[in-house]
Amino acid sequence: MIKELALIGVVGIVSFGGSKSAFALDVPITAQVTGSCIISTETQGTYGQPYAYKLSTAASDGGQQPVTRVDVTLANAYKVKFTAPDSFSSAPQLNDVVTFTGDTEVQAVSDATNMADYETDKVEVNDYVDEYGLTATGSTWFKHSSVANNGGDRAFPSGTYTSYVTAECIAL
Amino acid sequence: MAFGVANAHQMSPTYPVLEDSYLEGISVTKVKVFNKREDVKYYEIGVFDKDFKPIPFVAQYKLRGIDFNEYAIFDIYLNNKYSKDATYICSESMLTDIESTGLNSKICSKIKK
Repeated sequence: MIKELALIGVVGIVSFGGSKSAFALDVPITAQVTGSCIISTETQGTYGQPYAYKLSTAASDGGQQPVTRVDVTLANAYKVKFTAPDSFSSAPQLNDVVTFTGDTEVQAVSDATNMADYETDKVEVNDYVDEYGLTATGSTWFKHSSVANNGGDRAFPSGTYTSYVTAECIAL
Repeated sequence: MAFGVANAHQMSPTYPVLEDSYLEGISVTKVKVFNKREDVKYYEIGVFDKDFKPIPFVAQYKLRGIDFNEYAIFDIYLNNKYSKDATYICSESMLTDIESTGLNSKICSKIKK
């Protein structure tokens, strides 16, 4: 008990007798910025069926184009590569060859000045793959399209068809 | 124009650094994967060379379940004989339940040399 009182007394003396700097405590605020890429699904796509042999994400065909958003926190640190579907990931039994076409384009950007050239600077690697250099920090929205035509213009069998777009954010 | 982020896959850091591990001849680094995709429950990590050819590595989990709005830290161990060629560490969403045109997301960090 005596020891405890003695300790309180010492603390009290130090507290009240301390210099001004003891009260002006520096509170550090630290941050470790590591940078990152974020890929988001903004809009889920759906196929419309304007003809029995055709599935399309175009709004005019009754579909909905998927929209992907990519955020980067470091400029010139990433490129993003999109691969449009070249096959169904699941579908009913198909007896004909299905021909796919697809494309990606910039829908919107968060920095109109520094991202203005994203679409014109796009590299079309092949019919399905498009590549963009992300030279500015911020968000970019990409719109994808996909069309599938069944061989011989024969009707697609009834059932559920699924496919997916691949988005790759690759550090440079 | 209004947008709302529904689903997101995030990985950091952009440039992970390989450090000596407690095991001789083995380097280690770590990456953090954040799952804000409600439609994705599993992520797979891989290590690749500059041409995206797979590089052998060891991790407690190569395929790992990450709950929605949770993150996971992957410790990646590399034999030093491969670390020179190792260039990218990638995390990829594993789609198990997709509807119509879904999104397969893949993020690759570049190992700092």
